[in-house]
Amino acid sequence: MIKRKLILIMENKPGALVRVVGLFHQRGYNIESLHVDPVDDFSSYKFIEEKLETKFKENEISRLTIQTLVSDSLMRQILRQLNKLIDVIAVSNEETTYLKGVLLDENLL
Amino acid sequence: MRALKDEGVKFIFGYPGGAALHIYDAIFKQKAFEHILVRHEQGATHAADGYSRATGKPGVALVTSGPGATNAITGLATAYMDSIPLIVISGQVQSHLIGTDSFQETDMIGISRPIVKHSFVVHDTKDIPRIVQEAFYIATSGRPGPVVIDIPKDKTDPNHLYDYKREKKVSIRSYQPKALPHPGQIKKASKNILSAERPVIYAGGGVILGNAHKELMALNKILKVPVTNTLMGLGSYPANNKYFMGMLGMHGTYQANMAMHNADLIIAIGARFDDRITNTPALFAPKARIIHIDVDPASISKIINADIPIVGQVKESLTALIKEIKRSKLKMDSDALDLWNSQIATWRAKHGLDHELYLKKTKSKMILPQVVVQELYQATNGNAWVTSDVGQHQMFVAQYYHFNKPRRWINSGGLGTMGFGLPAAMGAKLAYPKDEVVCVTGEGSIQMCIQELSTCLQYNLPIKIININNEALGMVKQWQDMNYGGRHSESTYQDSLPDFVKLAESYGHVGIKVEKNSDLKNALEKAFSMKDRLVFVDVYVDPAEHVYPMLVANNSLEDMWLSKDKKT
Repeated sequence: MIKRKLILIMENKPGALVRVVGLFHQRGYNIESLHVDPVDDFSSYKFIEEKLETKFKENEISRLTIQTLVSDSLMRQILRQLNKLIDVIAVSNEETTYLKGVLLDENLL
Repeated sequence: MRALKDEGVKFIFGYPGGAALHIYDAIFKQKAFEHILVRHEQGATHAADGYSRATGKPGVALVTSGPGATNAITGLATAYMDSIPLIVISGQVQSHLIGTDSFQETDMIGISRPIVKHSFVVHDTKDIPRIVQEAFYIATSGRPGPVVIDIPKDKTDPNHLYDYKREKKVSIRSYQPKALPHPGQIKKASKNILSAERPVIYAGGGVILGNAHKELMALNKILKVPVTNTLMGLGSYPANNKYFMGMLGMHGTYQANMAMHNADLIIAIGARFDDRITNTPALFAPKARIIHIDVDPASISKIINADIPIVGQVKESLTALIKEIKRSKLKMDSDALDLWNSQIATWRAKHGLDHELYLKKTKSKMILPQVVVQELYQATNGNAWVTSDVGQHQMFVAQYYHFNKPRRWINSGGLGTMGFGLPAAMGAKLAYPKDEVVCVTGEGSIQMCIQELSTCLQYNLPIKIININNEALGMVKQWQDMNYGGRHSESTYQDSLPDFVKLAESYGHVGIKVEKNSDLKNALEKAFSMKDRLVFVDVYVDPAEHVYPMLVANNSLEDMWLSKDKKT
């Protein structure tokens, strides 16, 4: 078990954060730390905008940073489960980025 | 109402209450769909779920706030575990009262969060058409599942008029359910399949949900390899086909479990390697490479690592796979495959299920539950829509009723919800009023939603209920026999069962009691001859009977109990 960092980009909608936190609890994963920011500067997320053919507007999306203690195989499962949440747009750890089912080369970290 | 009509809704199953009264008034004034008044909200969700499983269209339930919403929770969890598209609309207290512990207030979104695919709160009346449209889209696409729409009462105030606007196409940027299989993976899968010597197709509920039974058949017309189904997958491959081995897993057939254990390649299609399938994951199919086709990437390599993962909708993936196999220059080793198929025939002959128990003369007056299912199959020519509850009777149907078409077998596989069978049968009967709909149940399960007999009278739903009555919670008792020294802790109630014949009659239906082998066939014939009546057939069976085969816990798939005293 190693402490690992995850970054999520998600819709800034009521109830979105609790779905992420709830999923950790529901599936027995542990959160070591959690940090949420609204995103106003989209310059580092151009690749998401291009892939989804969308334009982010002010206050529309949030960035979550989560640290968690897990094994490698569980990490993959967490990424996939988070990626399934309807309000989650993209999720990355050190190695992998999921953008709604698609694996990306770009990384949010 | 208009939003629901635009989604093609034909039936809503519901129960009114304060927070839903504006909606109910609107229902009164419309003719686009029929509302079915159930007797308990759990019945509403299961009936909508049964309708969905039978038709493939999303079922809709409508409940009020507070207790109405909490009563819908079991139905939501049932649909979630089996990936059934279900829309539950719950009334909520008025916006300004939320958070004040007001009358019939419950945080429905909070309570249902872990057991829904997604949920919506209506914050603004004019969002209703968009939310309904998105809810149906989410519920039915990708890996399907239930969606909750919570509507505060003031948001359905008929004085709040707005311009109705419906989008031509729904698009949610953070939800992209369409997944096409990766061509490289399809190539790899084809190569592995064509060089396998002992392949098995392991097909689950995803084949039915993805309407891919024809593609599955087409694939095996080429491959000619043994096929097994999960409990949820029964009917996705015709049970009377010679390559079909029956169900696998906890109560799977000997040949299906042995084939999985000894296979060199497992082609998993729309199945999720549930713990009732794998027994101990570390000991599961030690010699097999695994191809896993699933629309949900999180289901792949969750329990059993897939050597060749294919993320994609089952229909598209199988179509691509068939094309690739046809194009390939490789050919399967037909000698090896013949040997493999004959090995399975040997297993089947050795310890396979006896499908002709009903033809055998017996001295015992006691009816075997397996024989009830076999006689039911004969009486319905295998054409009925069969729902079940949960327990021994459910396993007996799965083992002995041969499902040759998809969607005809309707049961709560993942959650194992007792009380599911009768309301689910109501949903199926409304969808197919001319067809025979049978609920096979037990005296334990039926009492969990028995109030719906009243609904069946109100809407004239002539379902046939076959109550396999062993005067005990049979599956619990079986476990107690096997693992707890035969101590039947709280699993029996012989002296306090209702007279089911009188009970059925008091609801205006017909009741028939069967206690002797010699009466069984006639009773079933009589029941099915009454086309316009709900008939409750209460069949007393041998209470000592267990379900076999049964996997030996903490072992592999080849370790099975074959009878009370015989292990593999």
